[in-house]
Amino acid sequence: MGHKRLRFLGVVAAAMVFALACGGTTGGGTPTKTYKIGLVTDVGGLNDKSFNHLADVGLEKAKTDFKIQGDVKESKSGDEYVPNLTDFATKGYDLVIGVGFLMQEAVGTVSGQFPNVHFAIIDGAGTDAKGNDLKHSNVVSLFFKEQDAGAMVGVIAGWMEKNGKAKKNKHVIGAVGGVSIPPVNHYIAGYKWAAKMEDSSIDVKVGYSNNFTDPAKCKGVAQSQINAGADILFQVAGGCGLGVLQAAGQASVYSIGVDADQKDADPSVIASALKKVDVATYTAIKNIVNNQFTSGALTFSIANEGAGYAVDNLDLPAELKAELDKIQGQIKAGTLIPPADIP
Amino acid sequence: MPLGSVLFAFAVGAIICAVTGANPIDAYSGLICGGFGIACTQGENPALQVSNTIVFLTPLITTGVAVALPFRAGLFNIGAEGQLLAGSVACTAIGVKFGNLPSPILLPMVLLGGMAAGALWAGIAGVLKATVGAHEVVTTIMLNYVAQWLVRFLIIGGPLQLGPGTSKSLPIGEGARLATILPADNSLIIFGLPASVFRVHTGLLIALAAAAAFAFLLWRTSFGYEIRAVGQSQKAARYAGVSVRRTIILTMLIAGAFSGLAGAVQIAGVDHNLTDKYFSDTTGFDAIAVALLGLGSAVGIVLASLLFGALHSGGAIMQSDAGISSNLVLVLQALILFSIAANFVGAIRRGLPFGRKATPDLPPELPPAAGLMSDATAPPPESS
Repeated sequence: MGHKRLRFLGVVAAAMVFALACGGTTGGGTPTKTYKIGLVTDVGGLNDKSFNHLADVGLEKAKTDFKIQGDVKESKSGDEYVPNLTDFATKGYDLVIGVGFLMQEAVGTVSGQFPNVHFAIIDGAGTDAKGNDLKHSNVVSLFFKEQDAGAMVGVIAGWMEKNGKAKKNKHVIGAVGGVSIPPVNHYIAGYKWAAKMEDSSIDVKVGYSNNFTDPAKCKGVAQSQINAGADILFQVAGGCGLGVLQAAGQASVYSIGVDADQKDADPSVIASALKKVDVATYTAIKNIVNNQFTSGALTFSIANEGAGYAVDNLDLPAELKAELDKIQGQIKAGTLIPPADIP
Repeated sequence: MPLGSVLFAFAVGAIICAVTGANPIDAYSGLICGGFGIACTQGENPALQVSNTIVFLTPLITTGVAVALPFRAGLFNIGAEGQLLAGSVACTAIGVKFGNLPSPILLPMVLLGGMAAGALWAGIAGVLKATVGAHEVVTTIMLNYVAQWLVRFLIIGGPLQLGPGTSKSLPIGEGARLATILPADNSLIIFGLPASVFRVHTGLLIALAAAAAFAFLLWRTSFGYEIRAVGQSQKAARYAGVSVRRTIILTMLIAGAFSGLAGAVQIAGVDHNLTDKYFSDTTGFDAIAVALLGLGSAVGIVLASLLFGALHSGGAIMQSDAGISSNLVLVLQALILFSIAANFVGAIRRGLPFGRKATPDLPPELPPAAGLMSDATAPPPESS
């Protein structure tokens, strides 16, 4: 056994010496007419039914529309973010897209090392370890006007309360946030504002679970809102928020999903507020192909069809549909502007 | 035997590839390129791949040792992951709290702090085993959960959280960081890339030293002899005047210190802060496979760590170059472990039908993984 091990060791050592010796011979390739786009998922993977999946949808659409080569790396664990981003960067990709704020630090690090490669990050920025935006000139942040999407589902909730189409019709609705941070509060701000616009007597209960992952925590907050008379609940708490949808289902009231279309999460889901990550990804790629890359932030809203809503497990009355189209048109035209802060 | 298990796993992996319509040669050349930087076809930088492999293998060596040492005493330490997390928490807490201290003081503090925390974490299981006979497999698994949720608490809403809405800690002070082997400089070009992309750090030397210390402890000290004696037969060891309880507790304390060191080195050398990625860390579990594959010897553990580090680093390249899901790597790792556990290769070599022997004949230098099945579950009555 001993000499076998030694031989293995020898082969490995030789391989590593060879590898190091040859290191200098390769480098970044030169971009050709075919643009190379690399997408790195976070640990959620491509089948997360949310951001990662939608980013891939955007990439696939871009593949059919433009002359690009698109490749995806799924990160199995957090320690793969930097190697995966770096690998695309070393191979001379024109745009490397990181999905989600979990990759902020990794994008910040790698974008500093490869100033000639463009980076895009969904819902985040390239940051240092303390979370400060490094503002690298080769990084674009893809943000969303969550309040636009929140306003559309707020219209649904408010209209149903006003017209007696909800379950209890006490003019009470709820919103359960994960943590009181800007993206969460943007959603809730639009929701509350639009609901009040539809039904001036409405009472909007807002609660936070202080958690994004544990459904039990959100369920507790949701149940207390239901006990207080709420019969439409908007979840803005990621995985934790699934508990809101379940609590609504068990209490036979309505719920509203967030980020992606959550129609299948629970029968109680009547609508979802959408961040169209596919649109954002597609736009970032389009800008590269058209040589229109700009650093800083791109914001996606109803106006550029980067935010919106989906109707789920309920047939909406024609009147409500007309109201939704009207409000959406006004937000798109800029005559109605949902607030970013909770009114 | 271990080489045979690896070959067996790769052979089955190739069949899986072929059956699912992929080309196994493409898959494995992608893995070799990603792991060792050789035979790369898509413009990968070989030195970068080697660097990534070393970064991944460094904590595997130290945690591998932390699993192998208790093996020798007939104890199955499933808790390396929890002990690693305890070490990274201690390293982070000290490195943030005393972030202004100079490196010669702070670096030893964070590393020793990590070792102490890991030792404490494993020591709980050791003391419970030695006193009330609580099975170390159960207690160490449970302590893994406690550690994972503790990390979650500390950085989400707890005292180490950077700020509202974040899931990471403050970065540790400059003085608490291990130097990278190449300068961390974005503008210096080495091997055709900015030097800072090569993340290999001096923690590699610490890990190799840990492996050497493990071998020395086991084979060159009287305590190492006691560990092996207890592993071979608790009754005989007791008869020879060895305190089984003391040996069990000390073994677990030392093993925990190794794991804790791995966690501290990971923070001090690579990450510099405790982040949400530690929720899904699997180093301490991979370490079990590393210890088994390495036959519980220091050299074997280093080689097995090299293999697993290369698989980790190679998986992503295989996925992008050959279009084969990097999940294949997890299949390969599981197959390696499976074939070691089932002792297929030995059975094939002997020309025997599988599973004919009731007890697998473990190689002589690897004592009771049998700790699982032996009388070690009963609290060892101390001879007084």
